[in-house]
Amino acid sequence: MSPLFFELLLNGLIIGALYGVVGMCFVLIYKASQVVNFAQGEFLLIGAWICWWLLTSWHMPFLWGFLISLAFMTLFGILVQLVVLRPLIGEPIISVIMVTIGLSIFFQALMKWMFGTFAQPFPPVFALSQVNVLGLHVQSAYLLSTAASLVIMVGFAWLFKYSRIGLAMRATAFSQQIASSLGISVRQMFALAWGISAAVSAVAGVVVGIVNGVSSALSYFGIKVFPAVILGGLDSIFGAVVGGLIIGILENLAQFLDSQYLNWGNLYEIVPFYVLIVILMIKPYGLFGTHEIERV
Amino acid sequence: MKLKTAFLFSATALFLAAPAFAQDIKIGHLADYSGATSDVGQPYGQGVEDAIAWVNKNGGVHGKQIISELNEYGYQVPRALAAFKKWTSSDHVVAIQGWGTADTEALVAMVTRDKIPYYSGSYSATLTDPTGKATSKSVRAAPFNFFYGPSYSDAARAMVQWAAEDWKAKGGQGKPIWVHMGANHPYPNSPKAAEEAYAKELGFEVLEPIVFALTPGDYTAQCLTLKQSGANYAYLGNTGGSNISLLKACQAAGVKVQFLGNVWGMDENAMKAAGTAANGVVFPLRTAVTWAGEAPGLATMREISKMSDPSGTAYRPVHYLAGVCTALFMKEAMDWADTHGGVTGVNIRDGMYQKKDWVPKGTEGVCNPSTWTPTDHRPTMRVDLYRAVVNGPTDAPVAELVKSGVIRLEKVATITLPRKTELLGW
Amino acid sequence: MAIATMRPCGDYRTSYRADQTIFATRLSKAWALAGLLLLCLAPWLLSGYLLSLLIQIGYLGIAALGLNILVGFSGQISVGHAVFYGFGGFSSAYLARHGVPVPLAIVLAGLWTTAVGLIFGLPATRVKGLYLAIATLAAQFILQDFFVRAEWFTGGTHGAVAPPFTLFGTDFSTDTRYFYVVLFFFTLMYLAAANLMRSRDGRALVAVRDHYLSAEMMGVNLTKYRTMAFGISSFYAGIGGALYAHYIGFMSVEGLDILFSIQFLGMIIIGGLGSVMGSLMGTAFMVALPELTGALATALEGGAIDHALHLKDGITYLREMLIGASIILFLIFEPDGLAHRWQQIKAYWKLYPFSY
Repeated sequence: MSPLFFELLLNGLIIGALYGVVGMCFVLIYKASQVVNFAQGEFLLIGAWICWWLLTSWHMPFLWGFLISLAFMTLFGILVQLVVLRPLIGEPIISVIMVTIGLSIFFQALMKWMFGTFAQPFPPVFALSQVNVLGLHVQSAYLLSTAASLVIMVGFAWLFKYSRIGLAMRATAFSQQIASSLGISVRQMFALAWGISAAVSAVAGVVVGIVNGVSSALSYFGIKVFPAVILGGLDSIFGAVVGGLIIGILENLAQFLDSQYLNWGNLYEIVPFYVLIVILMIKPYGLFGTHEIERV
Repeated sequence: MKLKTAFLFSATALFLAAPAFAQDIKIGHLADYSGATSDVGQPYGQGVEDAIAWVNKNGGVHGKQIISELNEYGYQVPRALAAFKKWTSSDHVVAIQGWGTADTEALVAMVTRDKIPYYSGSYSATLTDPTGKATSKSVRAAPFNFFYGPSYSDAARAMVQWAAEDWKAKGGQGKPIWVHMGANHPYPNSPKAAEEAYAKELGFEVLEPIVFALTPGDYTAQCLTLKQSGANYAYLGNTGGSNISLLKACQAAGVKVQFLGNVWGMDENAMKAAGTAANGVVFPLRTAVTWAGEAPGLATMREISKMSDPSGTAYRPVHYLAGVCTALFMKEAMDWADTHGGVTGVNIRDGMYQKKDWVPKGTEGVCNPSTWTPTDHRPTMRVDLYRAVVNGPTDAPVAELVKSGVIRLEKVATITLPRKTELLGW
Repeated sequence: MAIATMRPCGDYRTSYRADQTIFATRLSKAWALAGLLLLCLAPWLLSGYLLSLLIQIGYLGIAALGLNILVGFSGQISVGHAVFYGFGGFSSAYLARHGVPVPLAIVLAGLWTTAVGLIFGLPATRVKGLYLAIATLAAQFILQDFFVRAEWFTGGTHGAVAPPFTLFGTDFSTDTRYFYVVLFFFTLMYLAAANLMRSRDGRALVAVRDHYLSAEMMGVNLTKYRTMAFGISSFYAGIGGALYAHYIGFMSVEGLDILFSIQFLGMIIIGGLGSVMGSLMGTAFMVALPELTGALATALEGGAIDHALHLKDGITYLREMLIGASIILFLIFEPDGLAHRWQQIKAYWKLYPFSY
């Protein structure tokens, strides 16, 4: 196989890890509060802009700026849940989807107003901006993202399996009524889920910002995440990671096919959505999602 | 007694001139300050507005003020349409300063029907054929569409020609390889047919185009494909925002290709954002110099810039200068129209045909000589090619970077294409 | 979400047929007719700008009503309405360019779009709720890509010219005349929708939305009605898109993006899901909002607020923020939309001084 194939495969894995991180955040919100968050991309965007702003206007060292952004995003996520989503508990799903869509429109415009429309580069963070991995030049930031996604995945796994909070969240996801009857504050669980999701999205946002500069393009991660989580199963965090990796690899494989044989030009962008449709036809609950059994 | 006569005289003069003062010229101005092309739309639109404000401050059009109705339409055609309807029905505008390919193409039929000159920021070759019959490839007649600068197709052809010369000068062996890169959308696709045809004619091997979106994103896959294809020259059809992402990804992937941009694909802000990834990109300029250059006309430009930046410290990217030139061409056409039957749409259009190698007064050395004729709306066949030079980290504001020389635009060549009718309109 | 009309005491019905009239009372029918007559006089009463806004509300309202039939009445979420709208526009332009008279082309475009809608509707019956929303999201991107690639149909990158509307030799392309064309289609389509909702099929759609398991048990064929909902909604979208195409005289793929689909959803949610009148209100709101914010910004220009917030630069973002904020606020405070609020207002006046 040509070297391009392997390069694209490796690239796919790296990008897929990023999709996986965003997917995990999305699934966390869905699992805990049954909300489909169309504004996930905006969480990346806001996190990246806040970190950029701290680094450039306040000249903080990267670690401090990063940590403060994470703290800010946690609070932000909690605030969003409190103000916007709580009144909509119990409303039909279309309303919830529309609210998150409205949020995404609102925040995109707000970010453009506050920070302008130009893509802004991140100040240099790593001493070495790229390293050589198996012959492919990989940006250090992407290595950070791969490492981060592994850490986050392990962290989430531990959180849900072994900690009390995680157990409470799983209980809330299973049945809100039973959970609250057992003394779990469902509202606190919702807020917590949103806070964690926002903070982890900020990690992904900062990584992409370091590589590509911060711009409104980060919001598109929120759209790309749908094929990944549908493939993996909407309520499986592990599935989100697997889904993200698969979508990343698929995109790059499609690019390979397209450039070598088909020359249609657009497969890279469109393949995730074709895959999405196919999955919805064959396996609507994804690879690892729980099958909803409808009882009369 | 003398004082009284003088007073009477001036009062009468004022009274007679009053109707002239009351007659203002209304134009519409479509700008994208928030949409997909806002990164380049902002400086261009600002240039147009500042130029009009400066014209008004310095006497207007023979005393008449130009009232510009700004409509920021976020690159959404329906909004542009609503604005157009308002301008033609309530405001009765006589000309429009437009912007993008989307709205310009959508409004061609309507401005032709309503006879309103439309000055676009879109340099699509399909807007250059006033009769629609120049060649078999002509898409439509656009008698009321004007723009300042080489068309996308002509600029691309010029870069193909430069690339061919560059290949020979570098001592390249065999056939050089050309590839068009851009989104599959009207604006990036505009010059593709012309550019690829000309490249083949000049002996290039032309590859299948590589697609990357108009939005910033991750284009590592496309860069790897580019690297593997062995292309020597790659034309970037998108605006600065997405080109930045591609250039950075390609730098990280170690791609060694001569990148060529379109007029909207690179500017000082994009160079700052892309950093060293933008080093070496060759792209056309619509003006003879940049803001940091030397020319008598730059004094006027600085005056115009003060209309929105009184401190005079702002660095204006290349698009700002192009916007000013476009507005000033319109103003001088209005000057002619005013003395030849009144400032109406048809007269302004005729005013565009009056001068050959036309440079607006006060912009010598900045705005390039342009000629419009009733059968050919290509203002110039001359394309100035510049190379972006970035040699260091680009953390500071653009003005500082230019002053310190970290960011530089150096002239590479001036290509003048022959004004052939067979190349008109596509 | 059926909105019950209030009838005054003593106005009772004695047959099912009488109970199912489109207009609940004679007075409301009279109001509707008066409104229609007033609209007929609009070209003489209103400026060109307002007239063009009304035309926009007209064709967007038709498409929004189609989406409301799909989302509000049948409970199927679709985030891809813009491409059906675009398909209608492209079809009509294509047919008209190939010699079909424009009025016929518009209708045929609606039918072609119905066919496409049915193709998407069939697999859609297998997925529900959120998954359907995501599937339609994918359809939006796929069809958008198709439009860009299918040069023979859409003109690809250059867009497609749509010939002007002519009927029996008279040209209807000026605003004043085209207004009547749009008004004609609008009235027809809205009456058709109101009629659909009181028919057996309409009740079946609502049953599928409210509790599909029970509906299935009662013998309502889920697949048939879900697919039919897609088909009808696409028909409306196609007609709306065709009217749009012939209004501008040009149809292009730019502008048929996900944001446009979201705007349609915004229209029906703000207007009121499951309400025919609400579709019109929501459309009027969404069309008026950018214009109002623009006017507000112009009014505030140079003032204190302008200097504090740099409103002039931010006006564009402010507009988008307002669209997003209005969607959010409506959903939080008035989830049933403007139609419901209107019903409440009418009820207040009818019942004054009693509150119930």
